[in-house]
Amino acid sequence: MKKLIPLLLSVLLLLLAAGCSNKVTQETVSKKTPEYKIGIVTPTLSASEDEFRGADKVVKKYPGMIKHLTLPDNFESEQETAITQIVSLADDKDMKGIVICAGYSGILPAIQKVKEKRPEMVVITAPIWDDPDMMAKYIDLCLDTDWLKRGETIPTKAHQMGAKTFIHYSFPTHMAKELLANRRDKMKATCEKLGMTFVDISTPDPFTGSGPSPMLQFLQEDIPRQIAKYGKDTCIFGTNCPMQDVIIAKALELGFIMAEQCCPTPTQGFPAAMNLEIKPEDAGNFDKINEMIKVKAKEANETGRLSTWPVPVGVFFPEFSVEVAKGMIEGSVDKTNMEQLGKIAKDVAGVDVHFNKMKPEYNNYYLIIMDSIIY
Amino acid sequence: MKKFIRPPQIIILVFLAVLTITAIYLHIPLNAMFGDSLVRLVMNGVLVLSLLPMLNAGIGLNFGLPVGVVAGLLGMCLAVNYHQTGWFGLAAAMLFSAMIAVVFGYLYALLLNKVKGREEIAATFVGFSFVSLMCLFWSVAPFNNPAMLWPIGGKGMRLTVGLKDYFGKVLNNTWQFNILGIKISLGLLLFFFLLCFLVYLIYKTKIGRAMIAVGENEDFARLSGINVNRVRTLSVIFSTVLGALGICVYAQSYGFLELYTAPLMMAFPAASAILIGGSTGGKTTIGQVVLGGYLYQAIYVISGPVANQLLMPEFAEIIRMLATNLIILYALLYGEGLRKNA
Repeated sequence: MKKLIPLLLSVLLLLLAAGCSNKVTQETVSKKTPEYKIGIVTPTLSASEDEFRGADKVVKKYPGMIKHLTLPDNFESEQETAITQIVSLADDKDMKGIVICAGYSGILPAIQKVKEKRPEMVVITAPIWDDPDMMAKYIDLCLDTDWLKRGETIPTKAHQMGAKTFIHYSFPTHMAKELLANRRDKMKATCEKLGMTFVDISTPDPFTGSGPSPMLQFLQEDIPRQIAKYGKDTCIFGTNCPMQDVIIAKALELGFIMAEQCCPTPTQGFPAAMNLEIKPEDAGNFDKINEMIKVKAKEANETGRLSTWPVPVGVFFPEFSVEVAKGMIEGSVDKTNMEQLGKIAKDVAGVDVHFNKMKPEYNNYYLIIMDSIIY
Repeated sequence: MKKFIRPPQIIILVFLAVLTITAIYLHIPLNAMFGDSLVRLVMNGVLVLSLLPMLNAGIGLNFGLPVGVVAGLLGMCLAVNYHQTGWFGLAAAMLFSAMIAVVFGYLYALLLNKVKGREEIAATFVGFSFVSLMCLFWSVAPFNNPAMLWPIGGKGMRLTVGLKDYFGKVLNNTWQFNILGIKISLGLLLFFFLLCFLVYLIYKTKIGRAMIAVGENEDFARLSGINVNRVRTLSVIFSTVLGALGICVYAQSYGFLELYTAPLMMAFPAASAILIGGSTGGKTTIGQVVLGGYLYQAIYVISGPVANQLLMPEFAEIIRMLATNLIILYALLYGEGLRKNA
């Protein structure tokens, strides 16, 4: 028994490592030699599926041109490794651009080193979370999602979809976060402006003790109660990822509106709530997944009452950033031209993407909001 | 002679009464909430019941409940993978779960028999580490029903798998009817009480009595010719199997299979419930399981809407955490005292 456990553990670890590695190694096999290369840096598959798959997609789109690097799994404790990895990209003379999609803090020093060595290197971050002023100074183009602006766009979309009431489910731990609390206040203000009733409901906190189960059970009981009270023309928004399964499942059952999840993507909530049978060959094919959701929404008589962003930002950013980097290297794209960026984004995402300046004085730090798909 | 109502029950009953009166005062419809609380009793009740065999055998609270839960999840994954639906699907899931739980329970019991006297803390860590180990398994699990696979990657299990098309709410929807606005799922309640009755019957058999004897006094049991380790092993397997069935009932009622880290904290609400029911970490009756399970869940059901209506959600959260955790502490203190005096 004592010998068996370590053996079992190591076999499992080996299996997992093998499962990951065959993905990571399928990198640059140059068929035709392009004049330059672009490096793309993402977290590992287990840390974040979206960014990893997004980069994988670009690698396949431009064979031989893209070098995909993955950051250490436990980034926090291995920042030095991460910095060395990124700086090593600058050693390659053909490397003309670096795209970093990581959502970590502490990557800026690596970029500073790269810029010291190769000032002409095009660096795009989508996103990293260091000090915005420093980022705008050193990085050619900084991109991120406009989390706060969604406090305005979500109720507006719900209003267009016919909502008369907007319910915001959250709990103390989330409301203690400045960004989320500000977004809630913005939602409330937007609802008042549009003449919708804003209802703020607190669920049991999933971060204290018993985990998410009490919160999810509460949602299952409370949603029917609220719909009975406010009617079907109600939009429900929950701030926590596990909530989305329940909200969407209940929407199919009770017919209310779900304008957007906390993390807008067709792959959150919908697959479990709708039992989407996504075959391995269709996995990651968003056109197909969106089509499946549309069919299921119609079956449940929910056409026009469910919506989200058609592509997760994690998958969108790597491809979009590489396209922009390519354009900047070839001289065909001007990073300060928001209209031009919007055009590229539309080609990648399939819908309009709106760019806003992070601060008015920056012309290289943009926050995005994507147009939605309504099923 | 044991008293049925002790301070913990009094505190909880007072708290519940205050909540109920406030709810009436605020015109919150109580009948729907009563129906919800019955559903919750069964949903979580089997998990609470699963603690009973180990308590009765003197092994203490089964903080390693995740072992049984994972067995149940595996069983349900198998049933979903082979597209088993409806009643048959649930039965297949339970059968698979029970079989896997017997194997897991046996290994778990071997471990617990090695750490006699420190079972509770050992079980906690067995549970935690087992859940992490299974996270690795889920991400490479060789299941192939496309409704269970990652939507972008195309392999490995999703965080949650919907059961609606398989056996979600099968028990909940059996013989469901409305009385005075109270929605009652007779099938669900019958299933729970039948299971309780079965457990009760098992404790009337020879082996059941041996389990209780071991729990009451191990040395005495050994002298009477009972193979203590074997009885303890059986109790642990019994607990694990009930835990596996418990998550099946829970998942069909919730409508989703929750994989990865979801089972991590499941032992704690169950333990709180059984202690609120009046167990002190020793011999426990089915009545205490039902009472504790009901009181614990009823507080959850009522406190949410009341607190939201009063516009002080954080306050209710704090009071509830305080009350339930203090009761665990009380039970541990009181239970320890009993053992020393004995």
